Amino acid sequence: MGTYENSRRILEALKEAGISLMASVPDINLKELIELIGQDKEIVHVPVGREEEGIGVCTGAYLAGKRPAILMQNAGLMNSCNALTTTALQFGIPVLLLVYYAGDMGDDAFHMLGLLTEPVLSGLGIKYAVMRDPARVKRDISAAVTSAQASKRPVALVLTRAVL
Amino acid sequence: MKRFDCLKAIAPYFRDELVVTNLGGVRHEWYALRPHPGNYHLQNLGLTSSVGLGLALALPHRRVVIFDGDGSLLLNLGSLATIANFSPKNLVHVVFDNGCYESSRGAPTATAGVTDLAAVAKGAGFAHTATATEIEDFEENFLKAFRSSELHFIVAKVEPGMGDVPPAPLDSQENKYTFVRYIEKTEKVSILGSPQSRGSDLKER
Repeated sequence: MGTYENSRRILEALKEAGISLMASVPDINLKELIELIGQDKEIVHVPVGREEEGIGVCTGAYLAGKRPAILMQNAGLMNSCNALTTTALQFGIPVLLLVYYAGDMGDDAFHMLGLLTEPVLSGLGIKYAVMRDPARVKRDISAAVTSAQASKRPVALVLTRAVL
Repeated sequence: MKRFDCLKAIAPYFRDELVVTNLGGVRHEWYALRPHPGNYHLQNLGLTSSVGLGLALALPHRRVVIFDGDGSLLLNLGSLATIANFSPKNLVHVVFDNGCYESSRGAPTATAGVTDLAAVAKGAGFAHTATATEIEDFEENFLKAFRSSELHFIVAKVEPGMGDVPPAPLDSQENKYTFVRYIEKTEKVSILGSPQSRGSDLKER
C-alpha cells in the first residue's frame, strides 16, 4: 500500500513538471496519492467513473491549455485502449499516464494484468518506463512529461509499490 | 424534427463559443453551418461529453457546447455522473437522439426502446434537463441554456438522416492544430510551445 511520504514526492514532481489537471480512478495502492491530489489547490482533480472518460477529460483539458495526467490501475489502462487509440493517439495529445502495476513480479494477485501491461503499452506505441526507485521519481516524471510534450503523444509511467 | 434543422436554428447565435462534436453526420452538418476554429470534431464514439467537460474545466470563462448522440452517450453514460458532480456553469450538453446507430447503418439504440436520456441525466444529478421534439421548442430550450450560467442537458428527439452538406474537409491533426492555435491566440497562452519541464537533463541520469 502507498505511503504519504512517497505520494507527496510524486505529487511535488508532477507539479514541478507543470501538471495542472489530473483525472483519477481509485486503487488501493493509490489512495494516499489521490487524497493528496484532491487536497492540492493548484491541480484540478477530476475523479472519473471509468478510465476512458479520463482520457476524454485530459484531451479536452490539453486542447484548452492544461497539462493533463491520469492516475489509474493497469486494469484501467486496458479500459482506456479505445480512447487512447481513437483520441489521444489519433489527435496527438500529450497525456501523462500514471499506471499502477498490479500483478507486478511478486504480486500474488492480478497476474494476467501484470503479464499484459507492458505488451499492451508497446502494442499501442506508447513510450513508457517502469518506476522502481523512489530516488528517481522526480527525474522519471520530468522526463516523461518532456517526452510527452515533445512527441505530442501519451507517455506512460508504470508505478510499482516501491515508489508509492 | 431533423438534426440539421436544429443546428440551423441555433447556429446564428454562436460567436466565440467552443464546440465539440460527436463522430458521425453532425460534424459535417455543423462544419457546413459554422466553419470556425473553435470547433473540435472527435473521431471517437463515446468521449464527446468527457472532452467537453475537459474544455469546460480548463476554461471556465468560455462557453462550451457539446453536440453528442444517443449511441455515443450510451457508450459513456458514466460521464453524466462525473459532469453533474462538477456542474460546470459554462457547459451545455446537447444530445441528438435519433434512436439508432446511424453511422453503423441504423441498428436501434436503447432509446428506441424504453430508455430516456434526460431522465438518466436527471438521475445523474443534472439540475436542468429538457427533451424537445419540435424545432421551436429545441431552439427555446437551447437559448435558455446558452444564455444561462448553469449546466444544462437537452435531448433533441430527431429522425435519422443527414443534411445535404459536403464532408467536412478536416484532418484530425489539422483540427487539433487549428483549435489549439485559436485557443492560444484568444486566451494568450502557449500550449504547443517547446517542452518546459525542469530537471530532465539526460546528463543527470
